[in-house]
Amino acid sequence: MDRIGIVLVGAGFIADAHSGAIDADPRAELIGIVDAAPGRAAAFARKQGGIRHALDLDTALSWPGVDAVILCTPNDTHAPIGLAVAAAGKHLLVEKPLATTVADAQRLARAFEAAGTVLVAAHTHRFYDYGVAVKQTIDSGAIGRPKLVRLAILGGWIWPDWSAWVGDPDRSGGHALHNGVHLLDLATWWLGQEPTAIYARGRKQTAAELRIYDYLEMVVTYADGATAVCEMSRAHRPGSLAQRELLVAGTEGIVEQGWDGESSLVFGEAGTATLPAAGGNGFAKQLGAWLDAIGGAPPQMPVADAVRAVVLGVAVEESIATGRPVAVTA
Amino acid sequence: MTITVALVGNGGIGTQDHQSSMYGPAFERHPLFSLVDDPAAAQVLSIAVPLAERGAAIADAVRAGKHVLADKPLAATLAEAVEIERLAAEHGVVVVPAHHQRFNAALRSATAAVRAGRVGLPWNVQCDFVVAGGDPAPTGELVNFGLYPVDVVRALLGLEVRRVHATGSPDLVTLLLDHDHGVTSTIVCGRVPALRDLPPGGLAVHRYRISGSHGVLAVDARKPALQVRTTESNGLVWTGPGTVDALLDVLAAGIASGAGRAAIGPHDAVRAQRVIEAAQRSMETGQPVETGE
Repeated sequence: MDRIGIVLVGAGFIADAHSGAIDADPRAELIGIVDAAPGRAAAFARKQGGIRHALDLDTALSWPGVDAVILCTPNDTHAPIGLAVAAAGKHLLVEKPLATTVADAQRLARAFEAAGTVLVAAHTHRFYDYGVAVKQTIDSGAIGRPKLVRLAILGGWIWPDWSAWVGDPDRSGGHALHNGVHLLDLATWWLGQEPTAIYARGRKQTAAELRIYDYLEMVVTYADGATAVCEMSRAHRPGSLAQRELLVAGTEGIVEQGWDGESSLVFGEAGTATLPAAGGNGFAKQLGAWLDAIGGAPPQMPVADAVRAVVLGVAVEESIATGRPVAVTA
Repeated sequence: MTITVALVGNGGIGTQDHQSSMYGPAFERHPLFSLVDDPAAAQVLSIAVPLAERGAAIADAVRAGKHVLADKPLAATLAEAVEIERLAAEHGVVVVPAHHQRFNAALRSATAAVRAGRVGLPWNVQCDFVVAGGDPAPTGELVNFGLYPVDVVRALLGLEVRRVHATGSPDLVTLLLDHDHGVTSTIVCGRVPALRDLPPGGLAVHRYRISGSHGVLAVDARKPALQVRTTESNGLVWTGPGTVDALLDVLAAGIASGAGRAAIGPHDAVRAQRVIEAAQRSMETGQPVETGE
């Protein structure tokens, strides 16, 4: 069987996670790298053993053996680059969010449907060990009908400096779109319900001059009355102590994972830090699911769910701006 | 010389009898109190009558010059609670609403630490107060024990609640509270089914995360406790004085001070009731509601 030839677009830090996943899957082959910064593309290509590199997508799409693209560029470029990939008849795995506006997300969905190629947004937490284990526990019926999800991902680190594109809401769409969608999608997937309203609060804790909220609290209400309380933070201190906490309460029981449910704790001269367990490779599982879908299997991250995540992320920003709950329909 | 106490009533919300399960035994074992049968001869009345009758019973006791330990909630309505606050001040007696959770040993330390700046300026509190099993309250759990975590959060922050948004259901509700200085708090409060190895009505989850400008304080309020695992069971065994014992310490100190007030009083019940009633309105309208504080 021929391997799926993949081009990576964007040589930022997340590209390493994707290329590692490609290396680990015998069904995939990394053909080349595209980055608008010449030095960065060339350096990445050398690191990968001399793969092709280019400054523009059109060149890369013309390379022989290219079947698919993994897109790791700033969020505001997802729509135009994604539409070009669809027009070229290639498959796409796009970093989350699918797009920074609902209209663009829907445009991408339509384009790939028309092209007959597979579009998947990288909501990687669906493929992390904890995300899968919670989903399986809920689906097993062990806790009955879930009524509440609490999910907090608290990391003290902040983006590198003021030039980081993530801090520019025009480029990232804001923190709700950039990271918040991970939690919004995961909680919604776990619950298996349609969201009906969002109430959110945001905070610029690290610096008043931030243009995005480094702390987000996003509360989703679902059609069956369930609630999800999702906290996404880059504001918590100390930065050395990343924490993830979850609680799911159902009609027959509860599921919990505290901050120490997966991590060990290091007490050192340099401070205190959590040490996450090695566990499975979420990026590899995500890639595998995408390759499965290219082969005809049902997608584990349907396009409609990626569009819905954008709808929710946009509603979060609107709720914070207005101080009011926002009705949502995916 | 001990303080004399008479137990008045064995009712509450639904099937509750906190008098027999909590207050009576706590008074009995407390060295500063002694139980008497005749309410007229007692300095303190421990009042745990059904909620519909409670406000009037407490008001009568206060008018008779009695100090009061009042089952929670202090009264069925905000108006009744406000009247009790006024009467208590007028008659110079101590009225202690049984908001005993704030006297949990871990939470007392946490409150002192937060107020001393150990996490810098606090900017958010997250709380889960989830009871497992026991008899569901016919009023809904928001009315039944929503005031416990609301009271704890007020004590932790020393900040009143200005605005409330509530979602979920009366048996498992999420309260989103806004305080001064942009500080926010979130409380998940309610009842889930009975869980193995937990006594009926026991707390399955009771925790607080206080985030501040310079650190985070994570409190598991099911502690201090031992984890005891045997061939038959697996559970937590409380260590040290309980929260109701600590509440009686506060009552005794308030009476001894002669000032007619204790470290917790009707004003705390009034403020908690404002939040609960605002949450009820928010649940009805789907919109945030100002508390009027």
